[in-house]
Amino acid sequence: MIGRIKLAGLIAALLVIFLPSFTLAQDVNFGVSPAEVRINDLPPGEAAEFVLTIHNKDDVAHVFTFTASEPPEEETREGRARLPDDSWISFSSQEIELAAGSEANVTVTVAIPQEQKGAGQDWETWLGVTAESSDLLGVKLYVRLLVSTVGTRSNIGLVAGIAVAIVLLGYGGYYYFKRKAKPKYH
Amino acid sequence: MKAVITSIAVAIILALIFSLPALAQESGTITITMTGANEISISLDKTQWPLGNVASNTEHETSPPIEWCTLTIEGNCNVNTFIVGDDAEWVSDPGAYKWTLSSDGTNGEHIYGLWFRISGDTTRGPLGDGYVPVTKTESEFWPYSGGSGSSLAPGDTKQFGLRLLTPTYFVSGRQMQTQITISAVAA
Repeated sequence: MIGRIKLAGLIAALLVIFLPSFTLAQDVNFGVSPAEVRINDLPPGEAAEFVLTIHNKDDVAHVFTFTASEPPEEETREGRARLPDDSWISFSSQEIELAAGSEANVTVTVAIPQEQKGAGQDWETWLGVTAESSDLLGVKLYVRLLVSTVGTRSNIGLVAGIAVAIVLLGYGGYYYFKRKAKPKYH
Repeated sequence: MKAVITSIAVAIILALIFSLPALAQESGTITITMTGANEISISLDKTQWPLGNVASNTEHETSPPIEWCTLTIEGNCNVNTFIVGDDAEWVSDPGAYKWTLSSDGTNGEHIYGLWFRISGDTTRGPLGDGYVPVTKTESEFWPYSGGSGSSLAPGDTKQFGLRLLTPTYFVSGRQMQTQITISAVAA
Protein backbone atom coordinates (compact mmCIF):
# COMPACT_ATOMS: atom_id res chain seq x y z
CA MET A 1 0.00 0.00 0.00
CA ILE A 2 2.79 2.36 0.98
CA GLY A 3 4.63 1.40 -2.24
CA ARG A 4 1.56 2.29 -4.33
CA ILE A 5 1.27 5.69 -2.63
CA LYS A 6 4.99 6.38 -3.32
CA LEU A 7 4.58 5.39 -7.00
CA ALA A 8 1.50 7.59 -7.37
CA GLY A 9 3.40 10.47 -5.75
CA LEU A 10 6.35 9.99 -8.12
CA ILE A 11 4.10 9.97 -11.20
CA ALA A 12 2.39 13.14 -9.99
CA ALA A 13 5.78 14.77 -9.41
CA LEU A 14 6.97 13.93 -12.91
CA LEU A 15 3.81 15.35 -14.41
CA VAL A 16 4.30 18.59 -12.53
CA ILE A 17 7.96 18.82 -13.48
CA PHE A 18 7.19 18.48 -17.15
CA LEU A 19 4.23 20.79 -17.27
CA PRO A 20 5.52 24.29 -17.86
CA SER A 21 3.78 25.98 -20.74
CA PHE A 22 5.83 27.50 -23.50
CA THR A 23 3.67 30.48 -24.28
CA LEU A 24 4.78 32.14 -27.41
CA ALA A 25 2.64 35.14 -27.90
CA GLN A 26 -0.39 37.64 -34.90
CA ASP A 27 0.96 39.39 -37.80
CA VAL A 28 3.37 42.32 -37.91
CA ASN A 29 3.83 44.84 -40.73
CA PHE A 30 5.67 48.15 -40.75
CA GLY A 31 8.04 50.09 -42.96
CA VAL A 32 10.92 52.53 -42.64
CA SER A 33 12.14 55.03 -45.21
CA PRO A 34 14.63 55.72 -46.55
CA ALA A 35 16.25 52.31 -46.61
CA GLU A 36 19.71 53.78 -47.04
CA VAL A 37 21.27 57.13 -46.11
CA ARG A 38 24.61 58.39 -47.39
CA ILE A 39 26.38 61.31 -45.70
CA ASN A 40 29.40 62.67 -47.57
CA ASP A 41 32.09 65.20 -46.64
CA LEU A 42 31.24 65.30 -42.96
CA PRO A 43 34.14 67.04 -41.17
CA PRO A 44 35.20 65.53 -37.83
CA GLY A 45 33.86 67.73 -35.04
CA GLU A 46 30.65 68.46 -36.92
CA ALA A 47 27.23 66.86 -37.02
CA ALA A 48 24.65 66.03 -39.68
CA GLU A 49 20.95 65.33 -39.30
CA PHE A 50 18.37 63.50 -41.33
CA VAL A 51 14.88 62.12 -40.83
CA LEU A 52 13.58 58.57 -40.77
CA THR A 53 9.90 57.91 -41.37
CA ILE A 54 8.28 54.94 -39.65
CA HIS A 55 4.98 53.68 -41.05
CA ASN A 56 2.89 51.39 -38.89
CA LYS A 57 0.96 49.36 -41.46
CA ASP A 58 -0.55 47.10 -38.82
CA ASP A 59 -4.12 47.28 -37.58
CA VAL A 60 -2.93 47.69 -33.99
CA ALA A 61 -0.75 50.31 -32.31
CA HIS A 62 2.94 49.52 -31.81
CA VAL A 63 5.80 50.98 -29.87
CA PHE A 64 8.91 51.31 -32.03
CA THR A 65 12.40 51.50 -30.59
CA PHE A 66 15.59 52.75 -32.25
CA THR A 67 19.14 51.55 -31.96
CA ALA A 68 22.40 51.90 -33.82
CA SER A 69 24.20 48.62 -34.22
CA GLU A 70 27.35 47.27 -35.76
CA PRO A 71 26.66 45.44 -39.02
CA PRO A 72 28.19 42.05 -39.74
CA GLU A 73 31.50 42.71 -41.50
CA GLU A 74 30.56 40.61 -44.50
CA GLU A 75 27.35 42.61 -44.98
CA THR A 76 28.90 46.07 -45.21
CA ARG A 77 29.16 47.91 -48.52
CA GLU A 78 32.45 47.50 -50.36
CA GLY A 79 35.23 49.67 -48.97
CA ARG A 80 33.32 50.51 -45.79
CA ALA A 81 34.54 49.94 -42.26
CA ARG A 82 32.19 49.62 -39.34
CA LEU A 83 31.53 52.87 -37.44
CA PRO A 84 33.92 52.78 -34.45
CA ASP A 85 31.43 54.04 -31.89
CA ASP A 86 27.65 53.71 -31.99
CA SER A 87 27.36 56.54 -29.43
CA TRP A 88 28.11 58.97 -32.31
CA ILE A 89 24.55 58.27 -33.45
CA SER A 90 21.57 59.69 -31.56
CA PHE A 91 17.82 59.67 -32.10
CA SER A 92 15.36 62.47 -31.27
CA SER A 93 13.37 59.81 -29.42
CA GLN A 94 14.47 56.42 -28.25
CA GLU A 95 10.96 55.10 -28.81
CA ILE A 96 7.63 56.24 -30.26
CA GLU A 97 4.14 54.83 -30.11
CA LEU A 98 2.31 54.75 -33.41
CA ALA A 99 -1.40 54.16 -33.84
CA ALA A 100 -2.60 51.67 -36.42
CA GLY A 101 -2.00 52.89 -39.95
CA SER A 102 -0.13 56.02 -38.90
CA GLU A 103 3.42 57.27 -39.50
CA ALA A 104 5.91 59.46 -37.69
CA ASN A 105 9.35 60.96 -38.17
CA VAL A 106 12.44 60.52 -36.05
CA THR A 107 15.47 62.76 -36.45
CA VAL A 108 18.83 61.03 -36.46
CA THR A 109 21.99 62.96 -35.63
CA VAL A 110 25.45 61.79 -36.63
CA ALA A 111 28.19 63.58 -34.68
CA ILE A 112 31.79 62.65 -35.41
CA PRO A 113 34.29 63.70 -32.72
CA GLN A 114 37.14 66.07 -33.58
CA GLU A 115 39.82 63.41 -33.86
CA GLN A 116 42.45 62.96 -36.54
CA LYS A 117 41.56 59.28 -36.85
CA GLY A 118 38.05 60.35 -37.83
CA ALA A 119 39.26 62.09 -40.98
CA GLY A 120 39.06 60.64 -44.47
CA GLN A 121 37.04 57.60 -43.41
CA ASP A 122 34.26 55.61 -45.05
CA TRP A 123 32.08 54.04 -42.38
CA GLU A 124 28.86 52.07 -42.21
CA THR A 125 26.47 51.42 -39.39
CA TRP A 126 22.92 50.07 -39.23
CA LEU A 127 19.99 51.87 -37.63
CA GLY A 128 17.59 49.30 -36.21
CA VAL A 129 13.86 49.95 -35.86
CA THR A 130 12.00 47.34 -33.84
CA ALA A 131 8.30 46.91 -33.22
CA GLU A 132 8.09 46.01 -29.54
CA SER A 133 6.10 42.85 -28.95
CA SER A 134 5.75 39.98 -26.56
CA ASP A 135 4.95 37.59 -29.40
CA LEU A 136 7.30 34.82 -30.40
CA LEU A 137 8.19 36.38 -33.72
CA GLY A 138 9.33 39.97 -33.98
CA VAL A 139 10.54 42.14 -36.85
CA LYS A 140 13.47 44.52 -36.96
CA LEU A 141 14.28 46.71 -39.96
CA TYR A 142 17.73 48.11 -40.53
CA VAL A 143 18.52 51.35 -42.36
CA ARG A 144 22.01 51.43 -43.82
CA LEU A 145 23.86 54.58 -42.80
CA LEU A 146 26.99 55.31 -44.83
CA VAL A 147 29.16 58.11 -43.46
CA SER A 148 32.20 59.57 -45.23
CA THR A 149 34.32 62.17 -43.50
CA VAL A 150 36.46 64.77 -45.26
CA GLY A 151 40.19 64.22 -45.38
CA THR A 152 41.26 66.86 -42.87
CA ARG A 153 43.99 64.44 -41.94
CA SER A 154 45.97 65.87 -44.88
CA ASN A 155 45.86 69.38 -43.31
CA ILE A 156 49.04 68.85 -41.29
CA GLY A 157 50.88 67.79 -44.42
CA LEU A 158 49.35 70.68 -46.32
CA VAL A 159 50.43 73.26 -43.72
CA ALA A 160 53.93 71.73 -43.60
CA GLY A 161 54.04 71.80 -47.38
CA ILE A 162 53.08 75.48 -47.44
CA ALA A 163 55.76 76.30 -44.87
CA VAL A 164 58.43 74.45 -46.85
CA ALA A 165 57.25 76.12 -50.07
CA ILE A 166 57.51 79.56 -48.44
CA VAL A 167 61.04 78.86 -47.19
CA LEU A 168 62.24 77.47 -50.52
CA LEU A 169 60.59 80.18 -52.59
CA GLY A 170 61.89 82.80 -50.15
CA TYR A 171 65.46 81.53 -50.46
CA GLY A 172 65.17 81.25 -54.21
CA GLY A 173 63.74 84.73 -54.50
CA TYR A 174 66.35 86.14 -52.15
CA TYR A 175 69.23 84.76 -54.17
CA TYR A 176 67.54 85.78 -57.43
CA PHE A 177 67.11 89.37 -56.33
CA LYS A 178 70.56 89.43 -54.71
CA ARG A 179 72.14 88.19 -57.89
CA LYS A 180 70.13 90.60 -59.97
CA ALA A 181 71.16 93.49 -57.69
CA LYS A 182 74.90 92.64 -58.04
CA PRO A 183 76.73 95.04 -60.33
CA LYS A 184 77.92 93.39 -63.47
CA TYR A 185 81.59 93.76 -64.35
CA HIS A 186 82.60 93.53 -67.93
CA MET B 1 66.88 94.05 -47.13
CA LYS B 2 64.43 95.00 -49.83
CA ALA B 3 65.30 91.77 -51.63
CA VAL B 4 64.52 89.70 -48.52
CA ILE B 5 61.10 91.26 -47.97
CA THR B 6 60.19 91.04 -51.64
CA SER B 7 61.27 87.37 -51.77
CA ILE B 8 59.23 86.39 -48.71
CA ALA B 9 56.14 88.25 -49.99
CA VAL B 10 56.40 86.55 -53.40
CA ALA B 11 56.95 83.18 -51.72
CA ILE B 12 53.87 83.55 -49.50
CA ILE B 13 51.70 84.67 -52.44
CA LEU B 14 52.84 81.77 -54.61
CA ALA B 15 52.37 79.23 -51.80
CA LEU B 16 48.88 80.52 -51.08
CA ILE B 17 47.88 80.49 -54.78
CA PHE B 18 48.62 76.77 -54.95
CA SER B 19 47.34 75.81 -51.49
CA LEU B 20 44.07 77.75 -51.25
CA PRO B 21 42.12 75.45 -53.59
CA ALA B 22 43.19 72.49 -51.46
CA LEU B 23 42.23 74.25 -48.24
CA ALA B 24 38.89 75.28 -49.68
CA GLN B 25 38.18 71.66 -50.51
CA GLU B 26 38.43 70.79 -46.79
CA SER B 27 35.53 73.05 -45.91
CA GLY B 28 33.14 71.71 -48.56
CA THR B 29 29.42 71.20 -48.15
CA ILE B 30 28.13 68.15 -46.31
CA THR B 31 25.90 66.17 -48.61
CA ILE B 32 23.22 63.83 -47.34
CA THR B 33 21.76 61.45 -49.88
CA MET B 34 18.67 59.42 -49.19
CA THR B 35 18.60 56.55 -51.61
CA GLY B 36 15.46 57.46 -53.56
CA ALA B 37 12.24 57.23 -51.63
CA ASN B 38 13.03 53.64 -50.85
CA GLU B 39 11.10 52.03 -48.07
CA ILE B 40 12.23 48.90 -46.37
CA SER B 41 9.39 46.77 -45.10
CA ILE B 42 8.66 43.14 -44.40
CA SER B 43 5.67 41.41 -42.87
CA LEU B 44 5.04 38.14 -41.07
CA ASP B 45 1.57 36.59 -41.23
CA LYS B 46 2.01 34.76 -37.95
CA THR B 47 3.84 35.70 -34.80
CA GLN B 48 2.48 33.34 -32.14
CA TRP B 49 3.06 29.69 -31.38
CA PRO B 50 1.00 28.68 -28.33
CA LEU B 51 2.52 25.34 -27.41
CA GLY B 52 0.78 24.65 -24.12
CA ASN B 53 2.41 22.19 -21.75
CA VAL B 54 5.57 20.50 -22.87
CA ALA B 55 7.63 17.65 -21.51
CA SER B 56 11.38 17.63 -21.14
CA ASN B 57 13.63 16.52 -23.95
CA THR B 58 10.91 16.52 -26.57
CA GLU B 59 10.71 18.02 -30.04
CA HIS B 60 7.85 20.24 -31.12
CA GLU B 61 7.27 21.48 -34.65
CA THR B 62 5.00 24.16 -35.94
CA SER B 63 2.09 23.00 -38.02
CA PRO B 64 2.54 22.84 -40.90
CA PRO B 65 6.20 22.20 -40.17
CA ILE B 66 7.82 24.31 -42.87
CA GLU B 67 5.00 26.46 -44.23
CA TRP B 68 3.80 27.79 -40.92
CA CYS B 69 4.67 31.44 -41.36
CA THR B 70 5.00 33.55 -44.48
CA LEU B 71 7.54 36.34 -44.71
CA THR B 72 6.61 38.89 -47.40
CA ILE B 73 8.78 41.69 -48.75
CA GLU B 74 6.47 44.70 -48.60
CA GLY B 75 8.75 47.66 -49.36
CA ASN B 76 10.23 48.76 -52.67
CA CYS B 77 13.80 47.62 -52.21
CA ASN B 78 15.50 44.26 -52.28
CA VAL B 79 16.50 42.95 -48.88
CA ASN B 80 18.73 40.47 -47.12
CA THR B 81 17.17 38.90 -44.06
CA PHE B 82 18.54 37.57 -40.78
CA ILE B 83 17.29 35.69 -37.74
CA VAL B 84 18.24 35.78 -34.06
CA GLY B 85 16.82 34.08 -30.97
CA ASP B 86 17.02 34.65 -27.24
CA ASP B 87 16.75 32.87 -23.93
CA ALA B 88 13.25 31.85 -22.82
CA GLU B 89 12.27 33.62 -19.62
CA TRP B 90 9.77 32.83 -16.93
CA VAL B 91 6.82 35.15 -17.63
CA SER B 92 6.03 35.75 -13.95
CA ASP B 93 9.59 36.68 -12.97
CA PRO B 94 11.87 37.00 -16.02
CA GLY B 95 15.04 37.57 -14.02
CA ALA B 96 14.53 34.59 -11.73
CA TYR B 97 14.47 31.68 -14.16
CA LYS B 98 15.25 31.07 -17.80
CA TRP B 99 16.02 28.47 -20.39
CA THR B 100 19.25 29.31 -22.13
CA LEU B 101 19.11 29.17 -25.92
CA SER B 102 21.61 26.65 -27.21
CA SER B 103 24.27 27.82 -29.62
CA ASP B 104 23.95 24.73 -31.82
CA GLY B 105 20.34 23.59 -31.57
CA THR B 106 21.03 20.89 -28.97
CA ASN B 107 19.53 20.80 -25.48
CA GLY B 108 20.70 20.30 -21.92
CA GLU B 109 19.56 21.04 -18.40
CA HIS B 110 17.70 24.37 -18.60
CA ILE B 111 19.07 24.67 -22.15
CA TYR B 112 16.73 24.52 -25.11
CA GLY B 113 17.24 24.29 -28.86
CA LEU B 114 15.45 26.23 -31.58
CA TRP B 115 15.59 25.52 -35.31
CA PHE B 116 14.03 27.01 -38.42
CA ARG B 117 13.50 25.55 -41.87
CA ILE B 118 12.59 27.46 -44.99
CA SER B 119 10.23 25.78 -47.41
CA GLY B 120 12.24 24.41 -50.31
CA ASP B 121 15.45 24.17 -48.29
CA THR B 122 16.12 20.46 -48.05
CA THR B 123 19.86 20.26 -47.51
CA ARG B 124 20.73 23.34 -45.49
CA GLY B 125 21.96 23.16 -41.91
CA PRO B 126 24.37 21.01 -39.89
CA LEU B 127 22.32 17.85 -40.35
CA GLY B 128 21.68 18.52 -44.01
CA ASP B 129 17.93 18.24 -43.52
CA GLY B 130 17.10 21.90 -44.10
CA TYR B 131 16.81 22.78 -40.41
CA VAL B 132 19.16 25.51 -39.15
CA PRO B 133 19.71 26.37 -35.47
CA VAL B 134 18.42 29.71 -34.27
CA THR B 135 21.04 31.18 -31.92
CA LYS B 136 21.61 34.36 -29.97
CA THR B 137 23.89 35.58 -32.75
CA GLU B 138 22.13 37.25 -35.67
CA SER B 139 22.68 34.96 -38.64
CA GLU B 140 21.58 34.66 -42.25
CA PHE B 141 17.96 33.74 -42.91
CA TRP B 142 17.78 34.42 -46.66
CA PRO B 143 19.90 34.54 -48.71
CA TYR B 144 22.66 32.55 -47.05
CA SER B 145 26.34 31.83 -47.70
CA GLY B 146 26.81 28.78 -49.87
CA GLY B 147 23.24 28.91 -51.10
CA SER B 148 22.20 29.73 -54.60
CA GLY B 149 19.47 32.14 -53.56
CA SER B 150 19.62 35.88 -54.04
CA SER B 151 18.25 38.86 -52.17
CA LEU B 152 14.50 39.01 -51.77
CA ALA B 153 12.69 41.45 -54.08
CA PRO B 154 9.47 43.34 -53.35
CA GLY B 155 6.57 40.91 -53.48
CA ASP B 156 8.74 37.87 -52.80
CA THR B 157 7.67 35.51 -50.05
CA LYS B 158 9.41 32.87 -47.97
CA GLN B 159 7.56 30.28 -45.93
CA PHE B 160 9.22 28.75 -42.94
CA GLY B 161 8.58 26.69 -39.82
CA LEU B 162 10.14 26.23 -36.39
CA ARG B 163 11.25 23.33 -34.26
CA LEU B 164 11.65 23.48 -30.47
CA LEU B 165 13.76 21.02 -28.49
CA THR B 166 12.89 21.34 -24.81
CA PRO B 167 15.57 21.14 -22.08
CA THR B 168 16.53 17.74 -20.71
CA TYR B 169 15.45 19.08 -17.34
CA PHE B 170 13.62 22.23 -16.32
CA VAL B 171 11.67 23.62 -13.39
CA SER B 172 8.07 22.67 -13.87
CA GLY B 173 4.91 24.73 -13.73
CA ARG B 174 6.43 27.87 -15.14
CA GLN B 175 5.15 29.69 -18.19
CA MET B 176 8.09 30.45 -20.44
CA GLN B 177 8.36 33.05 -23.19
CA THR B 178 10.96 33.90 -25.77
CA GLN B 179 11.34 35.94 -28.93
CA ILE B 180 12.79 35.29 -32.34
CA THR B 181 13.56 38.37 -34.41
CA ILE B 182 13.54 38.39 -38.20
CA SER B 183 15.43 41.39 -39.49
CA ALA B 184 16.01 42.91 -42.92
CA VAL B 185 18.42 45.36 -44.52
CA ALA B 186 18.52 46.82 -48.01
CA ALA B 187 20.57 44.52 -50.22
